[in-house]
Amino acid sequence: MDSQINKTTKVIDGQALFSASNRHTADDSEQAWIAQAKQGSQSAFYQLYEKHHRQIYALCWRMLADKDSAEDVCQEVFVVLWQKINNFRGESKFSTWLHSVATNVVLGHLRKHKNWLQRVFSIEDQGPSLAEPSTGLIDDSTLTILDQHIARLPERARLVFVLFAVEGYRHEEISNMLKMAVGSSKSQYHRARSLLKESLTASDFISIDEELTNE
Amino acid sequence: MSKHMPQEKITSHNDVSEKILAEQIAKLPNKMTPERDLWSGIERAINHKAQEIPSQQQGNIFVPSAWAASVAMVMLVSWFTFSPSINEQGEPALVNTQAGSSVTQGQLVDFMQKNFQQQKQTLLVSYGQPTVDKLPPAMQKELKQLADARGSIRKALLTDENNADLLNLLDFTQQQELKLLQQLYRQYQVI
Repeated sequence: MDSQINKTTKVIDGQALFSASNRHTADDSEQAWIAQAKQGSQSAFYQLYEKHHRQIYALCWRMLADKDSAEDVCQEVFVVLWQKINNFRGESKFSTWLHSVATNVVLGHLRKHKNWLQRVFSIEDQGPSLAEPSTGLIDDSTLTILDQHIARLPERARLVFVLFAVEGYRHEEISNMLKMAVGSSKSQYHRARSLLKESLTASDFISIDEELTNE
Repeated sequence: MSKHMPQEKITSHNDVSEKILAEQIAKLPNKMTPERDLWSGIERAINHKAQEIPSQQQGNIFVPSAWAASVAMVMLVSWFTFSPSINEQGEPALVNTQAGSSVTQGQLVDFMQKNFQQQKQTLLVSYGQPTVDKLPPAMQKELKQLADARGSIRKALLTDENNADLLNLLDFTQQQELKLLQQLYRQYQVI
């Protein structure tokens, strides 16, 4: 598909012209896009991208805690999706399958970018100190306060927290993904919660939240 | 994938309780918008990968043909280096098939060459008389290597026309060349 694609219309290339008319539900549309993307239609694939990329970007951002990396990895997720879309057999919801593809791509990215010291000694990047709430918060007004604090968690605690509390994976699944014991996944989760509560308390989160609510 | 709501824990006035944290988690937006346009990069990457696939397939075609050309050349060189007189003792396989007939070795080479040209011509006609010069350079090189190997064997047969191993080698090289041509034309239809 060339760059002149009309991104505002839902016109699909090739033999199967498809429009999101009233007789189609959103799921029907998605099924059609998936089928066409499997046949090589980049326009249909673009529709899938349009529908899902914001959720995938959110997942990438929360796991990586870095805007530029999140954007790069989000792109990588969709490139991998294009290559693997034929593996989707409809046994689960497409979004669930896509999130698992995305999670694997993010974890692969993190493994690739670990420095040798972290690899050899299993040291994790502690990030900014959570005891000092004023430092290290990401200056981005589009982020929720909680997201800003999640970004400051140590990497392992952050990954477990995002996968368990936000993405809804079970500790057994997380332990497989992160190659850690189930008990470690649980303890990292509790660690993350404690750190978040401390950090939010220290940043006077309740008064901020009340102010925002009153506004 | 459900969100996990922990039990409430009573804390001091300004402490963030489990309940508040759980509420904040539930309120987390499930979408974020990237600042830059990501699609253009994705589109470039998938188009680039789509172009890589045919070139990888070309590579796969070359493996057997390159191997065949190399084998032919190695056998030819080995023959001239180590076995100059073996043909006087050996019984050639192709010659055996001709045993008892009145066909001479020189005629057999001519026959093989004519037969090869005929098969090649039939193949070219079936693909609309394509020209080789429109093939990617690597493919042209591959075909030329096979043709050179075939030419060298024929030249050797001019001076040693009873050499059965050379005859077999010529037959093998011709078949490999035809196979490669067929694979290429099938892939590219019209070159």
